Amino acid sequence: MTVTLAIFLFFAALAIVSAVLVVLQKNAMRSVLYLAFTVLAIAGVFFCLQAEYLGAIQILVYGGGIVVLYVFVIVIANLKEAVPERRKLFPKIFIVAMPALLAAEIALAVFKSRPAAAAGPEGGLELGALAEALMTTYLLPFEIASILLLAVLIGAVIIARRRSLHDSR
Amino acid sequence: MIPVNLVLGLGLLIFSIGLVGVLVRKNLIIMLMSLELLLNGVNIILAGLGCHFKSPRGSVFALFVIVMAVSEAAVGFALVLSYFRQKQRADADELNELKG
Repeated sequence: MTVTLAIFLFFAALAIVSAVLVVLQKNAMRSVLYLAFTVLAIAGVFFCLQAEYLGAIQILVYGGGIVVLYVFVIVIANLKEAVPERRKLFPKIFIVAMPALLAAEIALAVFKSRPAAAAGPEGGLELGALAEALMTTYLLPFEIASILLLAVLIGAVIIARRRSLHDSR
Repeated sequence: MIPVNLVLGLGLLIFSIGLVGVLVRKNLIIMLMSLELLLNGVNIILAGLGCHFKSPRGSVFALFVIVMAVSEAAVGFALVLSYFRQKQRADADELNELKG
């Protein structure tokens, strides 16, 4: 077992455990804490996979932006009381079993296929290749992404400033 | 050297946990967090495959997925705040006005 694999397994276990805790928490604020754990652990996984740029973006955007946004929304909405989970037993079992079966099936397929097609060039992907691909081959999607962000900005402002749904302002 | 099977399994597991969260929880904000988990699982798979095929494309697609996740979070928060302002609750049970 190489050092990289050990570090990868550590971050993977951390990500899985804290992702389960995100779903299981009753209090939304604690969920946000575990979401921050999950996001940072996934950034560690990205670093192990030699996607350093992706890891840095993950820490900046998720760890710095989205988690703080969640905290603000919970504080503004003042969600102190837990929302009761009223659901009958049979639908609950059903909707948990469906993703569990999906995971088991695909995990079986993944692990039964010939193992250890080793990933990870030891030299690492150079950042220049990523930048060049982003600026040449994927220039059009890149610009469309900026248009999407502009549309989201305008849409979020318009939705959030209306007092009610019947208000046309 | 990380086997690509492990990376795919990890991404799929995170995706499934997020799917359970979206389907089971009733709290709108925790549902949005589970959506982030779903997209993060997809990102792990994309980064792992990019590493496996020694191509920058995985990182490029994962970058676009992150952009989309941020947009979805912003619009989702706007909708949750607007809904909360009307109903004073953050419970998906009350969202039944389009049921007919």
